[in-house]
Amino acid sequence: MAKYTKGIAGIWDDEHMILKAARKTREAGFTKFEAISSYPIHGMEEACGIKRSWIPYVTFVAGVVGLTCGLLLTWWTSAVNWAINVGGKPFFSLPAFIPIMFELTILFAALASVGALFYACGIPRIDPPVIDPDLSSHKFAIFVPQNDVGYDEAKIEKMFKELGATDVKKTEY
Amino acid sequence: MMMKRSPLVLGNKTLKDVSDDICAPVERFPSKGWVGLFLGAKTLLLFYIAILASVVGIGIGLLGVNSPVFWGTMIVTFVFWIGIGHAGTLISAVLFLFRQKWRTSVARTAEAMTVFAVMTAGLFPLLHTGRPWLDYWLFPYPNQRGPLWVNFRSPLLWDVFAVSTYATVSMVFWYIGLVPDFATIKDRAKNKLRRTLYGALSLGWRGTARNWSHYEMVYLILAGLSTPLVLSVHTIVSFDFAVSNLPGWHTTIFPPYFVAGAIFSGFAMVVTLMTLVRIGFKEFQNYVTLDHMEVMNKIIMTTGMLVGYAYASEFFIAWYSGNQYERFVFVNRAFGPYGWSYWMMVTCNVLIPQLFWFKKMRRSIPVMFVVSIFVNIGMWFERFVITVTSLHRDFLPSSWGMYAWSWFDTGVLVGSFGMFLTLFLLYLRLFPAVSIAEVKPVLHVGYDEKGGH
Amino acid sequence: MSEMHHDHELEMKKALRPKIERDNKYWLSLEQWNNDPEFAKAAETEFLSSPLREKDGEEGGWARREFLKLMGASIAMASAGCIRRPVQKIVPYNKQPEEVTLGLANYYSSAYMEGSEGLAVLIKTREGRPIKIEANPGHPFSISGLNIRSQASLLNLYDPERLKGPQRNLFNEKKTNSQVIDVKWEDLDKKVVEQLKKGDVVILTGAISSPATRAVIGDFAQGFKAKHVVWDAISNEDVLAGQKASYGDEVIPAYRFDKAKMIVSIDADFLGTWISPTAFTNQFVEGRKDIKNMNRLVSFDSNYSLTGANADIRFKIKPSQQLDVVMGLLHEIIVKKGASGYAGNGSVKAALAPFADVAAKLGFDAEIFAKVAADLLANRGQSVVVAGGLQAMTEKSKELQVAVNFLNSVLDNEGKTVDAKGGNSAVKGSYADLISLVQDMKNGKVKTLIVHRVNPGFVLPEELGFADAAKKVEMVLYTGDRIDETGVFADYIVPDNHALESWNDAELANGVYTICQPAIRPMYDTRSFQLSLMTWAYLANQGPARLREYETFYDYLRVFWKSDIMPKVGKGKDFEDFWLETLQKGYAGDISKGSSARSFKVEAFTAIKPAAAASGYELVLYPTSQMGDGSLNNVAWLHELPDPITKIVWDNYVMVSLATAEKHQLKEGNVIELTVGEKKIELPIHIQPGLHDDVLAIAVGYGRTRVGKVGNGIGQNAFALASFKDGKMIFAGQKAEFKKLHKKYELACTQGHHVMEGRNIVAEATLKDYNKKKDAGIHRHHTWSIWSGHEYSGHKWGMAVDLHTCTGCSSCVIACQSENNVPVVGKRYVLEGREMHWLRIDRYYTGNPADAEAVFQPILCQHCDNAPCETVCPVLATVHSDEGLNDMVYNRCVGTRYCANNCPYKVRRFNWFNYAKLIEKPLHMALNPSVGVRTRGVMEKCTFCVQRIHDAKTLARNEKRQLKDGDVKTACQTACPAGGIVFGDLNDPNSAVAKIFKTEERGYALLEEWHAKPSVRYLSKIRNNDKETTGGHDNGHGTAKQGEHS
Repeated sequence: MAKYTKGIAGIWDDEHMILKAARKTREAGFTKFEAISSYPIHGMEEACGIKRSWIPYVTFVAGVVGLTCGLLLTWWTSAVNWAINVGGKPFFSLPAFIPIMFELTILFAALASVGALFYACGIPRIDPPVIDPDLSSHKFAIFVPQNDVGYDEAKIEKMFKELGATDVKKTEY
Repeated sequence: MMMKRSPLVLGNKTLKDVSDDICAPVERFPSKGWVGLFLGAKTLLLFYIAILASVVGIGIGLLGVNSPVFWGTMIVTFVFWIGIGHAGTLISAVLFLFRQKWRTSVARTAEAMTVFAVMTAGLFPLLHTGRPWLDYWLFPYPNQRGPLWVNFRSPLLWDVFAVSTYATVSMVFWYIGLVPDFATIKDRAKNKLRRTLYGALSLGWRGTARNWSHYEMVYLILAGLSTPLVLSVHTIVSFDFAVSNLPGWHTTIFPPYFVAGAIFSGFAMVVTLMTLVRIGFKEFQNYVTLDHMEVMNKIIMTTGMLVGYAYASEFFIAWYSGNQYERFVFVNRAFGPYGWSYWMMVTCNVLIPQLFWFKKMRRSIPVMFVVSIFVNIGMWFERFVITVTSLHRDFLPSSWGMYAWSWFDTGVLVGSFGMFLTLFLLYLRLFPAVSIAEVKPVLHVGYDEKGGH
Repeated sequence: MSEMHHDHELEMKKALRPKIERDNKYWLSLEQWNNDPEFAKAAETEFLSSPLREKDGEEGGWARREFLKLMGASIAMASAGCIRRPVQKIVPYNKQPEEVTLGLANYYSSAYMEGSEGLAVLIKTREGRPIKIEANPGHPFSISGLNIRSQASLLNLYDPERLKGPQRNLFNEKKTNSQVIDVKWEDLDKKVVEQLKKGDVVILTGAISSPATRAVIGDFAQGFKAKHVVWDAISNEDVLAGQKASYGDEVIPAYRFDKAKMIVSIDADFLGTWISPTAFTNQFVEGRKDIKNMNRLVSFDSNYSLTGANADIRFKIKPSQQLDVVMGLLHEIIVKKGASGYAGNGSVKAALAPFADVAAKLGFDAEIFAKVAADLLANRGQSVVVAGGLQAMTEKSKELQVAVNFLNSVLDNEGKTVDAKGGNSAVKGSYADLISLVQDMKNGKVKTLIVHRVNPGFVLPEELGFADAAKKVEMVLYTGDRIDETGVFADYIVPDNHALESWNDAELANGVYTICQPAIRPMYDTRSFQLSLMTWAYLANQGPARLREYETFYDYLRVFWKSDIMPKVGKGKDFEDFWLETLQKGYAGDISKGSSARSFKVEAFTAIKPAAAASGYELVLYPTSQMGDGSLNNVAWLHELPDPITKIVWDNYVMVSLATAEKHQLKEGNVIELTVGEKKIELPIHIQPGLHDDVLAIAVGYGRTRVGKVGNGIGQNAFALASFKDGKMIFAGQKAEFKKLHKKYELACTQGHHVMEGRNIVAEATLKDYNKKKDAGIHRHHTWSIWSGHEYSGHKWGMAVDLHTCTGCSSCVIACQSENNVPVVGKRYVLEGREMHWLRIDRYYTGNPADAEAVFQPILCQHCDNAPCETVCPVLATVHSDEGLNDMVYNRCVGTRYCANNCPYKVRRFNWFNYAKLIEKPLHMALNPSVGVRTRGVMEKCTFCVQRIHDAKTLARNEKRQLKDGDVKTACQTACPAGGIVFGDLNDPNSAVAKIFKTEERGYALLEEWHAKPSVRYLSKIRNNDKETTGGHDNGHGTAKQGEHS
């Protein structure tokens, strides 16, 4: 994602209109367009046809790995590598090891999920181009990259205007 | 409980107002009040550092710890802060899972409080050891000393894992929540420095629909992970006591009892801070409304009664067990030389919160402030009662003794607030104290004609 | 001991160095011109008082060099866990004695003597430094174990405040100033000899049980027409006087407690402080081991003595009642029962008549009192009645002794359990002689006074005027090791070697002779007392030949043994063999037995008149077994050792009864002003259960002013309250008043609570219970585990502690401290609950607090198989060894202190500060190099003397044999005079300890129900009174409040 593509963006100042716009843009056959908002908008996924996030699978796998690591660590250190009589307890005192295993499960799962998020969103990203500073505050935008199928600036600009865009600008994103 | 649609955000705000209001404290020049508080807190922090330095330099013996009371102020205060460090995650995670929309405006600050409380708490187990410079030995790292590992059977080691995991995860959770708001501040930034600074913090976040969908998913996952985590942490902290064989510690009720206590003290601290924030930053009064405060007061009262129940059942079980040592410990708790601390605890934690049966009290800022302070005091004493009064008279009467409280103990206790407040005040200045991105979706709640959902 | 020999030659050379004879009268200026070092020093100090007061190099020089090396060595040993390498690097033994092997301990047989107590000891040395005093088992007199002070005397050797060489006090005419300077021996000797030649010499010493030393003094006295005055702060002249009056010979008889089935003690604390407690404890316990027919100890106690605490039946009395008690018993036996030949004797009856109803008068249960008499009678010839000690030194002490002797004669104990022949004739000493000496001094009849190892300046009450008297003496010589309360009056300090630095011999009991070997070359420029006398005799050329012609006391000693000792105990042997054999065995000869009953002089008894019933408070001064007469007062171990009864440290105080305290609203630690005659003293009070309501008891030996940093100003000097009346010193029974001051003083008590709260901690039963059920008083629990537990294939160490024989004497505590380098923390930190003793003795009161009984329980790490401490340590700093030891790994310990919280016995001690750093040189030389010195922030605790286990194993391996039972003895075990501690291998079915674990019904594990599975078993205590109870377990009930002191 490091390099940015040229394209055209329309700006709206209303949640409902951007939803509608997004739906229309999609119906117009565009697939690579981005809908930008300062907060998650309910129904935007459907509008843009975004599939459910794949991150939960990462979480699950990482969790399992964490659990296994916990088990192996405790078992190997206290029962294999350095089996020593502590308080007359068995070398492999499983019940006492459960908290460790649990915590590692959580830790691995959580960090992996965040890692996945970073990967999915391509962050951290240094100083990306900004279409309009208000997009992170109270405006909404749809950006269609020029490499999208059937990209035609005039048509898109017209469509955006019809959909009530307050402003349309050619930009890089 | 918030199903009656009274608005979550007052004053009919537009999206822009929200951004402006919440970013204001970060952008405007600090008020005299803030500066005053900050200097006070900082001085206290420096004093705290001096105290800790001398304790580490000269010896833990400067504190009142002795035989038989080998654990004292540091552990008591550790549990105290860890407990407080629970409300944040609880509000942001558990209430999130329960779709409690009212949480949005308090979540951020509550989480910040959590992070700082855990940081404050985290110092104690590290510094209360005899040789703090060797604390890293508690981590199972491969070493050249021939097979040499740690004891995974020791609750203290569970603590190491639980607390560090909790600190990491809650910090990450908090930061993830902050990212979009940092982006907002960055875009509003007037000067270069601020722009680069917040730009870096925002990791170049751009709120595209795809990002948001991943983002919300991860947020949900973290919430889902934090919920069992937050419960496990205080459970494990309670294991430090429950797994030992000391009468008064060795109790199965401890995990739920400690968690309830944690929520209790946590919410009390949130109320304390929020009342102050509301006074300090007028614009927040529309976001952190009396309704929010009232809900939290209700939770305080409920959890207060929960711990009250725990106190009672502890006594019952002690009697029912028929174990003379157990019985003695509890009689001694209430009527022994440390009886005063026990009754202090009961008064602050069980009796005083009963005020919240009355709506007037629940919604009165001064009242809730005072009550929350009492709860904080009471909860510190709860930990004191558990730790000290159990230790000071155990099995063999010959070795009974008293805790030798020294003014270093006072220094440690008071100083820790210096650390916490310094961090918290800095947070109020530099971070958006209410989650912008989370408030915006719930703007319309309570304004039915506009719909929302 | 070639090295030692050499050393003494050197001393002699010093003494004999040629000197320029110079006539001071005329050549004063010449002297100045010649700048005689001493003169120079005199000038410098008198007129310039320069700070540059150099200790003179030459003499001390090379002794000191040696000592520096050792210091370096022991620093290394203190710091490094492994001791071998550093030592070899640091100490180049340029002339290493062949018997010294680095890293291996040498033991030298010797003896410890103090006042009336003498003990055969082994001095354990490492790399030429004594590091511990051990018992010499199998010695006919002190059979096993040691007392507290003999072990603590080690620290006295390394006392940083010991004098480094001879000194002179440049007095002015009136001796009002004090200007102390160092002098050279030859100068000192010159001056002294001049003085001695003037005659009127008096030698003041304590009781001297060394025949050779007595001989030296005798020869010297003969040579210089000197007078020898014998006096001890705590002597037994009452016994002597009583014996003389009753039987005509002035002797302290040997008491045979082992032969007595019935023992009655009237304030004679024979288990704690009276005559020779250690030996007596051996005997007393001997008579109790066979429980079925164990002896019975009845004690009439006017303070709460160790003997009273161990009594089967204890009566609380006040001093003025002592005589009544004995007379009462006599009345029961002679008049009521008509037993004994004297039943017909009218004058005896007449003398007894006034004591018809003593029981009622003293508020005893008449039945029990009568039973005591009956028991005595029933055990004729097998009982013993004793009285004495400071507590019995009342105005009527002689009558008391006479009455006691009479009672013993009546009971046919005379010659059986009271044995005049076996007694120690050496133990003499009287205040009367001292007082008359002081008179002579006042009247200028004494020109030279030589004071050897006694401290009248501290002990004698002011009004007896020792201070002024001393100033009237032309020259006072003092052999003490510091300028103490007596030293300040001395013109010359002639520092004697420490006992561990010099040859000597001892006669601990008639017929048993011991040689004391030096275990270290004199650390400083000191000279043994005997050699001083010999040197002066030589220089003055006075006195018998043998005194003059030998170069060292060592030679004198050998010759004396050849001529005087060997004929008695080594007839027909070759001397060298005899000498070596004695050195190896540690003694020669045996206690002379088979004395016959002496006839009692009835007139002495019939002369006794009843005392008018006394009312009001009576003062009791008593010695404690840790501090004694206070001569070792600068030894920190003794101050930090909890008093066996009160468990208070670092102070003395006034003991008052509960009732008295209530009456005057006194709380523990309230300060009172005590008035005895004109004398006043301010002390805090300690509320003592089981004390007579009219008794105010204060320990002597405290309140020293010039003993050193440790002891100065600790407590008050109670000797000052004693008073001299018609020829004897009165320590007890003086009328006393007090008023409460509005001051509070914190007394540091190591025990938090004093009753058992009805817990099954010290299991106790009476003999009757025991006869019914062997494990009476023990609460058994059924415990089980969900898994089999670990296997112990090799050794499995365990210990059994017999609470039945444990008298609570606390000598094991000191032994442990000495063996394991246990630090002393001082009063302030004891108050904060930071004392460090690895082994402590818990003392609980049972029964009604007004006359509480006491039980003792030594508590050490129990080395639990399921050790709670181990489970909770996060870094595995305390884990279980495969020999069942609960190991403590100091250098792994991070100091979370969780282990200590989880220890049900609270035996773990934590280094709150860096105590090791505070050890002042050369005290660190006393550290045991086999035991690491713990740094700040680590936990420590009893290790079952793991270092001794290893030594024993090495020894066995070198001798290519299996470790056998008894090879390993823990420090506490060797020190225990009661043989109450048994240690060994539980996996060896024939080991003593294994047998106890298996078969002894009295055995129980402390807090058994907690299932920590300790490796220590306690054996229940059996009290031989006629009661039937369920014993200790229930006795604690309902007495919590009163019992509580802290």
